[in-house]
Amino acid sequence: MRPLDEKETSVVFEKLFKFVGNNLKNIVENPSHEGPDANPGRYCFRLHKNKIYYASESLVKRATNVARPNLVSLGTCIGKYTHGGSFHLTVQALNLLAANAKHKVWLKPQSEMSFLYGNHVLKGALGRITDNIAAGDGVVVFSMADVPLGFGVAAKSTQDCRKLDPNGIVVLHQGDVGEYLRMEDEL
Amino acid sequence: MGKKKQKVVLPPELPPEIPDDEVEVSDEDLQFIKENRNYASLLSTLDTHSITKHVTRVADAKDDALEKLYEKRMQKNALKKEKEETGLQVDRVDALPIKTLDGKLHYRTASKTVSENDLSEEGTAEDTNMDEGMVKLTKAEKRAKLKKMKKEAKKQGKEMAKAEVEETPHAAVLAEVKEDLTAEQTFESKKCKLAELGNALLTDPESNIKLLKEMVQLSKDDDHTIVKLGLLSLLAVFKDIVPGYRIRLPTEKELEMKVSKTVRKMRYYESTLLSAYKAYLQRLVILEKKPLFQHVAVRCICSLLDANPHFNFRESLLEATIRNIGSTDEAIRKLCCSTIKSLFTNEGKHGGEVTVEAVRLIADYVKAYNCQMHPDSVDVFLSLSFNEDLLKSGKTEEDQKLKDKKSKKRKHSEASNQLTENDRKKSRQELISKTREEVEADYKAASFAPDVMERKQMQTETLSAVFETYFRILKHTMQSIGARPEANAGALSAAVEPLPLLAPCLKGLAKFSHLIDLDFMGDLMNHLKVLASGSSNSGNTSDKSSKCLTVSERLQCCIVAFKVMRNNLDALNVDLQDFFIHLYNLVLEYRPGRDQGEVLAEALKIMLCDDKHHDMQKTAAFIKRLATFSLSVGSADSMAALVTVKHLLQKNVKCRNLLENDIGGGSVSGTIPKYLPYSTDPNLSGALASVLWELNILSSHYHPSISTLASGISSMSTAHNQVLLSKSSPQLAFKEMSLDQELCFTQQSGSIKLKNKRRTNGPAASLSIGSTTVKSSFDDNELQRKLISHFMVHHDIKENERLRKELDRTASSLQLYEQYKKQKKLSKPRR
Repeated sequence: MRPLDEKETSVVFEKLFKFVGNNLKNIVENPSHEGPDANPGRYCFRLHKNKIYYASESLVKRATNVARPNLVSLGTCIGKYTHGGSFHLTVQALNLLAANAKHKVWLKPQSEMSFLYGNHVLKGALGRITDNIAAGDGVVVFSMADVPLGFGVAAKSTQDCRKLDPNGIVVLHQGDVGEYLRMEDEL
Repeated sequence: MGKKKQKVVLPPELPPEIPDDEVEVSDEDLQFIKENRNYASLLSTLDTHSITKHVTRVADAKDDALEKLYEKRMQKNALKKEKEETGLQVDRVDALPIKTLDGKLHYRTASKTVSENDLSEEGTAEDTNMDEGMVKLTKAEKRAKLKKMKKEAKKQGKEMAKAEVEETPHAAVLAEVKEDLTAEQTFESKKCKLAELGNALLTDPESNIKLLKEMVQLSKDDDHTIVKLGLLSLLAVFKDIVPGYRIRLPTEKELEMKVSKTVRKMRYYESTLLSAYKAYLQRLVILEKKPLFQHVAVRCICSLLDANPHFNFRESLLEATIRNIGSTDEAIRKLCCSTIKSLFTNEGKHGGEVTVEAVRLIADYVKAYNCQMHPDSVDVFLSLSFNEDLLKSGKTEEDQKLKDKKSKKRKHSEASNQLTENDRKKSRQELISKTREEVEADYKAASFAPDVMERKQMQTETLSAVFETYFRILKHTMQSIGARPEANAGALSAAVEPLPLLAPCLKGLAKFSHLIDLDFMGDLMNHLKVLASGSSNSGNTSDKSSKCLTVSERLQCCIVAFKVMRNNLDALNVDLQDFFIHLYNLVLEYRPGRDQGEVLAEALKIMLCDDKHHDMQKTAAFIKRLATFSLSVGSADSMAALVTVKHLLQKNVKCRNLLENDIGGGSVSGTIPKYLPYSTDPNLSGALASVLWELNILSSHYHPSISTLASGISSMSTAHNQVLLSKSSPQLAFKEMSLDQELCFTQQSGSIKLKNKRRTNGPAASLSIGSTTVKSSFDDNELQRKLISHFMVHHDIKENERLRKELDRTASSLQLYEQYKKQKKLSKPRR
């Protein structure tokens, strides 16, 4: 377990910025009330075995007691480095993203299931969409009851969505809560 | 006129002009004149020259000959005058001579007035016939006459001067009075003439069309009132006689052709009418620039345009009208605006062409003035109406055409496949279809209804001009906002450039939002977003630049954005997050007195009540903020806010957690564990972690309906899903309450009574009596009444107590007495 170096930090932050925009500040400066300290600490990012964790400072301090090979996980895992060296967000980061999301898409109830099986979001599945999404932005996917279902990357801007036919892809799938069942072993 | 050659017969000579001094003016005469000035003036004001000329006119003589004759006579007269003057020299002894400015010597003689009177007396007989006679004069004669009149006037002026100098003071005063009277007289006569001409034109325009020119001539008079009257009477005439079609002057070829008498007559009529109309319009346009005549001219222009939008020269009329549409003069502006509006609404009159022109012109003016115009000038667009069916029908027609083509092709191919055995049949069919097409084309040309395609074309043009204007205004506003913070950083007192056109522009955009092209939508939304935020991006300047756009304007921007979105996108439900953020912050900036409550109510209605679906966090944040907001504003505003809150709570069951008196926290409130009242983003305010204590305070609001509403909201529970449909929108509530407020001020005591009743009946009865008395102590009468009633109650209680004591006493005494009796009875048998 070690703090991220400069390059890694910028990569992680850029990725998060796509989803939350200026709310990134809230993620970094979020006060944590864990631990015995009276004054709240902060959350920080840690790299452990190719995975990035988001954990409170007090938790990190206590985790140092555990030997590196024995430490399985700490805090919330938000992403991992692939073998190719690129950074991917994993579905555990969903809670963090959903709370601060800038671009959102709501799915119609009948098409939730399709998304949870790992398919892309089609235009026909859209119940609602926030204004001015540009192509390439990170989008958090919600059900109509405001339950976060997953996240992805916008394939089309909001403007283009209007002219799109119902079978066109609006959001490219990156992660969804179905993965907790489908890829239990990997996570 | 008969054109027989006749020997020129000279008219009979006038009675020889009697030298003035030979006429003896008796005292009686003078007396008569003095007493009956009216008579005298009537006579003296007549145009003696023209009368004499008319009398002496030779009916059938050639003009030149006549003129020569007249000249001769003039010379004679002049000779005579000289003679007279030489004759006068005899009397020189009378007084000292006077030298006038032009160097002539004059000698005092008797007044000349009488001679003039004589002359005019002669003329009276012809007075009544004068007008008709003048009408029959030919052009050349008229010109000559005009010249002579001028000369005559000069001469008369000289004579008058002479007379004034020469006459005794008494006579001078007389002359002056006469002069005044003559002015009045000419005025009257001109007025009469105008009326007569107008009347003649209205009764029979065909034969009297020539009179138009004369009327136009009259309206070029020196006298202001006459000019005005002339313009107005011409207006009446033109309004009546202008035909319902556009006049096309015949081409040279057509002129050469032989035509029937009636056609020639018609042509003459039309061309005369047209030229007079043109002259009149030119006159109007010239006069419109002079401040003295502006009102009259603009009125004439407007009513002409309103009455005959189809007629020739409407372009100049339209131009003049639109030039004045942004005038600083209230009356003129109103007039022009109403004219343009009526043009827009009554398109049937001119087939829509004028609408296009008018809109184009306005657009050009907005461009030229760089958006610094009166808001009324853009407000007129609101009365435009676009036929949506037209756009749709056009499309379907095209589709049909396409289909027809396809089917034809198919038919064709089928037919070719089916061999050419029935060639004859086919050719016949073709013939039939050809004739049908021809007939249709003829019908189209003849039918009165304009072509659908043409109308569609015009509508498109109008729309594009309107939106061009609107976008120009928006852009201008953006630029001025962007430039301002840099230009006067820190200088708050710097004159803020007004944006007069923004409000009508936003209104118009909201109204025509369903017609905006989808391609413009993105840009429009971006503009609106920036405007709604009231600043360019940098946070530091936001305070300053928000000063240039008022809260109401920014709210209006949000409303427009929502309307645009709603009207265009039935299929795609777009969540306008940014506008919600702006609204959330604008609620805090709202000040009851300064900003328009109606706009806020409308925004609440459109943005919060009409939207079907909201995030939980956002809704909770809005509920919390609106509840807080309603604590600090007037009853009408807070009513609107509370109605919205109720609506939101009914729709979002989860948000009813706010009504529990236990802070939600944990999983419900998301990542933000504490309510942040100053957060700018509704999604991050953590409102779900709070409790709506505001409702408790509001339920003791001074206004009965607010307190009941607040208590009603707080009694909603999360447990069972109540299906309560709110009847009123925030707008309605606001209106009702603001009406109510006005009433309340007049009937304050009544409302307080009502409130007190409610207090005692309702759930809030636990409030102590003391607090109510303290509250109502502002009203002396009320206090007195309260005290009296309080006293009465106390008094009753005391009285009751007293009576009860008495009753007890008597009861006990009765008992004693009974016991005594029993004892007596017992003792008696013992005995």
